[in-house]
Amino acid sequence: MPQVNEKSTGSVYWRSLEEYSADPKVSELLKEEFAGYDPDDVLSVSRRRFVQLMAASMSLAGLTLAGCRRWPEEKLAPFASRPAGHTPGVPTHYASMIERGGIANGVLVSSFDGRPIKVEGNPLHPGSLGAADAYTQASVLQMYDPYRLREITKGKDDGDGSHPSWNDFMAVADEQGKAMRAEPGSYAILSQPSSSPSLARMKSGLLAAFPGVKWYEYEPINRDNEIQGAINAFGKPVRAQYHLDKAEVIVCFDSDLLGSHPNQVRHARDWAKGRKSADEGRMSRLYAAESTMSITGSVADHRLPTRSEKVGALVQAVAQKLSLMNGNASLNGASAFVETLVKDLNGHKGKSLVVAGANQPAEVHALCWAINDALGNIGKTVNVTDEPEVVGGSGGGCFRDIAELSSEIEAGRVKHVLILGGNPAYDAPVDVDFAGKLAKLDSAIHLTEYRNETSRLCEWQLPMAHYLECWGDGRAWDGTLSIQQPLILPIARKGAESKSPIELIAMMLGEKATDGYTIVRQTFGQLLPTASFEKSWRKALNEGLVEGSAFKPSNARPKPAGQLDAPRLAEEKDFELTFHADPGVYDGRYADNGWLQELPGPLTKMTWDNAALMNIADAKKLGVKQGDLVTITVDGKTLEIVAYLLPGQAAGSIALALGYGRTAAGPVGTDVGFNTYSIRTSQRPGIAREATVAATGKKYELALTQNHYLIDGIGESLTRTRVGDKSESGLIIKEASFDEYQKNPDFVHKGAHGDFRLQLWDPPYKTEQKHPDAPEAFNHPHAWGMTIDMNACIGCNACVVACQAENNIPVVGKEQVGMSREMHWLRIDRYFKTTEDDTDAQRPEVVHQPMMCQQCENAPCEQVCPVAATVHDAEGLNVMVYNRCIGTRYCSNNCPYKVRRFNYFDFHSRNPRGTGINGIQAKPWIPSDPLKAFPDQQQEYSIDKIKRMVFNPDVTMRMRGVMEKCSFCIQRIKRQTIDAKNRWSRGEREKETVDDGSIVTACQQSCPTQAIVFGDLNDAKSHVTESQKNPRSYSVLEVLNTRPRTKYLAKLRNPNTALAGKPNGGSHNNETHSPPGHPAPGSTPAAHEGAHT
Amino acid sequence: MSNDQTPSDKFVFPRWANYLLPLIVIAGAGGGAITPAIVGLGFSAETLNVGYAPEQPVPYSHALHVGELGLDCRYCHTTVEDASFAAIPPTQTCMNCHTGIRSDSTRLQEVFKSNETGEPVPWVKVHDLPDYVYFNHSAHVNKGVSCVSCHGRVDKMVVVHQAEPLSMGWCLDCHREPEKHLRPVDKVTDLAWKPKQEPDETPEAAQLRVGLHQKELLMIHDEAYMTSCSTCHR
Repeated sequence: MPQVNEKSTGSVYWRSLEEYSADPKVSELLKEEFAGYDPDDVLSVSRRRFVQLMAASMSLAGLTLAGCRRWPEEKLAPFASRPAGHTPGVPTHYASMIERGGIANGVLVSSFDGRPIKVEGNPLHPGSLGAADAYTQASVLQMYDPYRLREITKGKDDGDGSHPSWNDFMAVADEQGKAMRAEPGSYAILSQPSSSPSLARMKSGLLAAFPGVKWYEYEPINRDNEIQGAINAFGKPVRAQYHLDKAEVIVCFDSDLLGSHPNQVRHARDWAKGRKSADEGRMSRLYAAESTMSITGSVADHRLPTRSEKVGALVQAVAQKLSLMNGNASLNGASAFVETLVKDLNGHKGKSLVVAGANQPAEVHALCWAINDALGNIGKTVNVTDEPEVVGGSGGGCFRDIAELSSEIEAGRVKHVLILGGNPAYDAPVDVDFAGKLAKLDSAIHLTEYRNETSRLCEWQLPMAHYLECWGDGRAWDGTLSIQQPLILPIARKGAESKSPIELIAMMLGEKATDGYTIVRQTFGQLLPTASFEKSWRKALNEGLVEGSAFKPSNARPKPAGQLDAPRLAEEKDFELTFHADPGVYDGRYADNGWLQELPGPLTKMTWDNAALMNIADAKKLGVKQGDLVTITVDGKTLEIVAYLLPGQAAGSIALALGYGRTAAGPVGTDVGFNTYSIRTSQRPGIAREATVAATGKKYELALTQNHYLIDGIGESLTRTRVGDKSESGLIIKEASFDEYQKNPDFVHKGAHGDFRLQLWDPPYKTEQKHPDAPEAFNHPHAWGMTIDMNACIGCNACVVACQAENNIPVVGKEQVGMSREMHWLRIDRYFKTTEDDTDAQRPEVVHQPMMCQQCENAPCEQVCPVAATVHDAEGLNVMVYNRCIGTRYCSNNCPYKVRRFNYFDFHSRNPRGTGINGIQAKPWIPSDPLKAFPDQQQEYSIDKIKRMVFNPDVTMRMRGVMEKCSFCIQRIKRQTIDAKNRWSRGEREKETVDDGSIVTACQQSCPTQAIVFGDLNDAKSHVTESQKNPRSYSVLEVLNTRPRTKYLAKLRNPNTALAGKPNGGSHNNETHSPPGHPAPGSTPAAHEGAHT
Repeated sequence: MSNDQTPSDKFVFPRWANYLLPLIVIAGAGGGAITPAIVGLGFSAETLNVGYAPEQPVPYSHALHVGELGLDCRYCHTTVEDASFAAIPPTQTCMNCHTGIRSDSTRLQEVFKSNETGEPVPWVKVHDLPDYVYFNHSAHVNKGVSCVSCHGRVDKMVVVHQAEPLSMGWCLDCHREPEKHLRPVDKVTDLAWKPKQEPDETPEAAQLRVGLHQKELLMIHDEAYMTSCSTCHR
């Protein structure tokens, strides 16, 4: 089991436990990029059969080539009547919004000739400011999912095969309407929480027209605790508006403010402001106490791993130490953390912030409100605003709603249910047994995007429009009214088109206007000033939001801590289980989205699965290894799930991601991972207690990317020294504490050898240097460069999905990921760093490093390509010429950064779940007409016509056998440079070169913390030139003299000197965190007490 | 097995086989020459593409509309200066005139049908580049590359055909020496334009003079940039 390699000294960085324990497997991966590659295994055909196939293909090729034919005929289809303002081939952008968990977020969607192909953040929207999270960006793939419900279907299970139309359905609905009136109370509607004013209007219309109809809301990941906490503290539901840029001390109690919070994008932006100001001499400090490593915890300056059920005691202790409450709770080893924290909070009154997480009970939320009030933070770092009112329902939150609806059905009072979206049969708490309840109903109708687990138990399945297909509205986290406008007509059968919930209700109400546009417009007619309605409506539509419509901060004050219920502190017994949204599939709704399935988890680097995240020492004691199947028993329910040993996971705590183990998710998402809903109860949906875990002795194959594309320095000998910290100059990661940076701003260049400006030969494409810091070669007329600020990067994966969407990057499937063949051009390397005495990686520090092609001026890949398929261009781009590439893979072998990707298959045409060549379930690419069997037509014949629509036409579709890599989004560069020069030549511009900031790469665009800067290094005033002059700027593996155009800014941490040497808060007495009978690993707190001071 | 037989005893070429040798040499040399010839000529863009003139759904004559009636290229191909595509005109453009002119023509039925139904006229693409090539019309016509350089004298074509090979080598000829083809930007759509010759000047010299002036005036990129792979491939 994990042991620090003997060779290592001091702190080391590592990506995986195998690397940490110097497993020979890792050396193998270092030697060979695609370890475990066995051609026979991949081909799964015998040699004889292979030769036969080759002979057949050759003769076929001979047959077609001998025809000396032109390539296939293509048709041009111009508009019959081209819409005004539309230029074919020039993408247009529309502001819209996406709602998840009742919070709307602004998006800007690029439409290429009528096809939405890229979802980005809306720069004007307060919740987005131009960035978007991974889910939002990947949502466009779902729009073109061929397995989305595209027509009305009828019948349980697989349906009765009929093709009803809306007219057929409405006849039934009218009957039901009569039943509703005849028997009030027998009808219920279950929707997902929504902030849509139009839905609220429809809802009150419906409740008025049909008295007795009950309206419930349910979503498995909800804000019940938070809202109840606000009710406890304020007597009414309120919402917290955090201003992380104004807070100098931020304390997250089990809260993933920067990761899974609905307002994550905005939080990350604000937080990054407080980190980037380190260059001006100010830097905020982040404390986190949490059970599993979240994105927020991974970037915290002090992180205390603690059981989630113990967080209440910590918050109480903080309140007591701040003299807000009586008593003196025992802290069980976290005293150093709490005392330092309290001192820091006391020193930053009005400039600090305390936040509780969604899994924490209401009492903890209320207490955090009281602490913030006592510290004078309310009105400064956190504002209190209204929470939109929930109409109908039990008024007790989602879990109460679903339980109440179930008992109503059980009692026979509710006989008909209309379910608007969601998938309650799958994701409702297991004790509610919603699937069983559906069987007891007289009728059930499901408006749904997929024919999912719930739909299969309903009589009617109505197609729900994707958010890019329908009109809608909503409110952002801060209350800003946002408008959702469609970019495409519903992709569905005529007569049975997809509808949005508001359209369906309008139809059922028999309203005159049943189209989304009219409904939303009418709603806004009530919300916007009537005098200038048309003008304000058009403005709102253009911007995607109504300016100034955010909730106004109120003067409400929470009750003092003394008057609040103290958090209930239960005895810690056995294991606790915590349930979380998955960083890929969220609550399961994105299960059929290949981009998200294949997205490596920010901390786990796990694809195509969820796992039980366990503490390493706990696992050791249970005899469980990475990839072992374990059984978890809680409240009499048992789940068999794979174990993942996560460094930094609190002892005695197991984290479970929701959303996997789907049985009817579509071909991509069905039977992936483990259904953790099967042990989630309505009583303890966030933190389940007293769970027992047992090893089964069975193994399970996980597809982890953490050991893939290892950067091996200049040989295996550098495995350990390739990265370093303040004591030794690392080659890959450089970091320092804020104090050290203040004292020695030039720390990154300590230990640098020689002047890398010296060159052995004159580089080509050399023109006059534009300014002293500008590149000397590859510099005309522009010199592209990029900077990545590791101090701001939180590893949230937004850039990875952005890159995938922009550059037509295929999904390869779990089996291929297992063979190091994931195609992501941009990966985020997550390094753990531990001290020597931390034997079981209990308190790791984390570094996130986005890694893509570094665009080296002296590119090692170019020197080994036998066919010059990768060469430099005049502006410093290392370009990849796909049509020249013959697939030797020498370049990838020679790339020190391991950023080149090889198409082993034509992944786009394959079923991502397929296994080997024989397992391809996609249509065979050779069509019936052999004369059309040109290889360049393979994709045209084999990729679904709808699926194909998501591709970016500005980026080449790569074939199998071809290398590819990050191109700095050359298509975006070309669009802007050509446009700038065109306008210059027409006299519309002053200069022929582009303006700084006009070219935004996909990763840069999506980054919530603006960690990525791209631009022209020839421009002395450009943002990128400025940032490369930052003293923290360095090149990865500088000793290789590859002269990358991408530079990194060293990471800074801002630890409290009072906790120095104890990076994670000095929780050394872990005994009390561990389950009884599982003593914590022997740690030696005294051994490094005061080290580094 | 006995050892009295040497392997050479097993098989000996008969004497007449000696005469085969010169035949093999001749056939080998001939084959060596003919294969590259067939492949080189048979597969060249010149052979495969030049002269390609597919039948169009509507027998639209550029010779009539441009050559005789004098329509400017940009009357129909409106986006050529702003976008990478020189868009095929919408049916509406045809109907600007054909609501009144020849409104009963049988040859225009496809156009009238499209105008009624809103379905596009299915034109066949003549100038078709491989999908890994990104050609941008606006980048060329704004820099004084005439339509005629790539499309030939469309104003004389009754049926549009491909006039140039549109091969990579052909593209590079101009990217290396654009001065041989550049002209004033306002003459781009004037397909018959020729540079005005000074006395004692050959037509080539006149073109070079104009082209070099244009190259400087419009800051046409140098050869290093113009022949970078990323200029056309992404």
